[in-house]
Amino acid sequence: MIDVSLNEVESLAARVARSCGFSHGLSDDVARAAVRLAAQDRPWGEALERLAREAARFAAPGEPGGRPLCPVRLGAYLLDGGAPDLGAAQVGLPIWLGALVEDAMRASWVGGDLVDAAPVRLERPARTPPPTGTRATISPARRDALLALAHKIYVPESATSRARGAGGGRVDDE
Amino acid sequence: MSEIPLRSPDDVMRFARLGSAHPTRLSFLRQLVRRAARERWRVTRPVWRLDDAGFGRAVYRVATPARIYSLVAFSTPLDESRRTDRVIAQAWDTSYVLYDGEPCEAELDRLEANAPRQEAGRYGPRDLVLARANKSVRLFESVVAALARGEQPDPDTLAGVGYLLRTTAVYGNGKFGIADRAGVAGRPELAAPFQAEMLAVWLIRSFTLDLADHIARRRAPDRAAALAPDLRRRMGVGNATGLGMAPYLVRHPALINNWFLARETALARVRNLPVADAAARADFFAALSAMQRRVGAWTTLDERLSAAIAQLRSDLVRLAEAAPLRLASAPLPWNALYAFAERELGFEAQEACVALLIEPHGDLVDALGDSMSADEGEDLRIDGAISCAQTAQALARDFRWAFATDFSMRAAQARFWYVSAEKLEPRLGERYEEDGAELELPVAVARDMQAFAQALRAEPGETPLADFLLRQPQWRHLARRARIAARCPYSEIRENLIDAAMRPVDILRAKLAFFGAHNFDPRSDRWLRIALFAGEPMIEEMAGARDADAAA
Repeated sequence: MIDVSLNEVESLAARVARSCGFSHGLSDDVARAAVRLAAQDRPWGEALERLAREAARFAAPGEPGGRPLCPVRLGAYLLDGGAPDLGAAQVGLPIWLGALVEDAMRASWVGGDLVDAAPVRLERPARTPPPTGTRATISPARRDALLALAHKIYVPESATSRARGAGGGRVDDE
Repeated sequence: MSEIPLRSPDDVMRFARLGSAHPTRLSFLRQLVRRAARERWRVTRPVWRLDDAGFGRAVYRVATPARIYSLVAFSTPLDESRRTDRVIAQAWDTSYVLYDGEPCEAELDRLEANAPRQEAGRYGPRDLVLARANKSVRLFESVVAALARGEQPDPDTLAGVGYLLRTTAVYGNGKFGIADRAGVAGRPELAAPFQAEMLAVWLIRSFTLDLADHIARRRAPDRAAALAPDLRRRMGVGNATGLGMAPYLVRHPALINNWFLARETALARVRNLPVADAAARADFFAALSAMQRRVGAWTTLDERLSAAIAQLRSDLVRLAEAAPLRLASAPLPWNALYAFAERELGFEAQEACVALLIEPHGDLVDALGDSMSADEGEDLRIDGAISCAQTAQALARDFRWAFATDFSMRAAQARFWYVSAEKLEPRLGERYEEDGAELELPVAVARDMQAFAQALRAEPGETPLADFLLRQPQWRHLARRARIAARCPYSEIRENLIDAAMRPVDILRAKLAFFGAHNFDPRSDRWLRIALFAGEPMIEEMAGARDADAAA
């Protein structure tokens, strides 16, 4: 396992979230939630990889169809003060919903951290946050997979951009 | 009499002033120097294992009242063909880690296996800062040669460059596995922004000068001279800074608000003083003389800045002539001098005047340094209960500047900011000539706020913002910026950051001035060189400092 800083978790999660189509603002929410999961020694890396893979199959609250609700869009809506009627609706990867709303409310579900989808029960106020660490771990293979996803939001060099450059001169001759 | 207000963000947060910024006593390295002097930090060099050519390892140990920090330095041979200042380089003359505590041999070995590889290495929670620096080829060898002859190097040559080595990257806050800032931000000595990074650079400065002395001594043990103390003090650490820093300011609106708010509050406090007492006047004229000396030695190949420096030199003469009368006038003598500068002098001199007015008033302004950090966690919150109409009104109030640009003009959207796949660093692209604009970073605040406002106006006014953002999450980051701007007047650079005429060096200079940089030397409109700590006391002097002001 690789020992990583929480800043690395945050930065990587934001980029992976962008790469799978979340907006800049929602990606910031995912990043913060990933840091919470990592600091609680929960499976943030696997959860992030699955979010990237499965995000497209989730529906936003209010959207028609029988798809599971997107935990990120639902969590953001709840954080903003929205009050959706969840009923028995399935929430995809509820670990993300729980981490997003942790400051404001407690989300509970059956099936554990990495369950595909489950109905979620929300309670206010939030539970007392569990003790958190200051570092995180991730396997090299999973880190490589996430870095590959993050790479999708980078722009390859072109002949033009190379010619324009941005940093110092090629050879430091002074 | 009504109070002189803070300068308006519409005036302050413009390229003309950002690109003319000067360091002040609130700059981050100045805050560090004052604390070190006040607390009499003690520096020793427990490890110095360098060969005749200056290659090997060294450790500088800093004892603060509460903790010990160590700069671990590695000096390694560098093939000339691999010497480059760009952040993409893969080998350097020297590499460094600021370590939390005192490293044992095993830790030194761990760092030696990683630090010279920089981004390719991995680091841990006791590694606070990672940095590297290359020799100024032009100067380093000539200084060593002079010292080896038993002579001092030519002071004018030293002043012309201002440093023996220049850093090409100084990483903090969790990069490559080093410690997160959140873990150390509660320590008083590291609470102000970039204090760990500044401490690392301050120690690197000592290492670069000791390295030159060492090589000269090994080259000519019988006759080598050590660099004279007054020349040591004139030398800083160079830094080459490119585009990577520019989006940082956009990414941290509450933080930069606190930087500018502290400086502007300091200026307003001084402008509102009813008298200019003799001691403050004396300090002002001493600071003005020091600035004139520094500006007199300031050179750059950049034609635009060269012209500005020439005007600054003549403007500082005019300021010196105008000051005695203005400072003797009542009421509000300092304001009278600032008003003269604003009315009669160029932007360079106006911003220099800001630094000069603040300088004599440590008792009045230094505590503002404590307000320059920011807890950015709070910035993620959105009040979704307010309506779209209220949000649109807030935008009209707080982002009026953003609505001045006509983005239907090609030139207004000529650029886009992105992260380079090869360099993993922010870059600036030409929208109509290069691919990749669909992966644009959210730096075009003015354009995007216009679009956000338009989307809000298309909604029924009473729609709660939460419902709107649920359906249109692409505006979420802008809703956050709007909330921050409502309470943080200096949170936004009030310019179009994708305009064809935009010069990133203006943004870089503003940030580097807050660091405490001098000798700005643009090498294009996208990168510049600077010196840090030139003219400041050596960190080794802190243990004997009598008081902070004397040291600083």
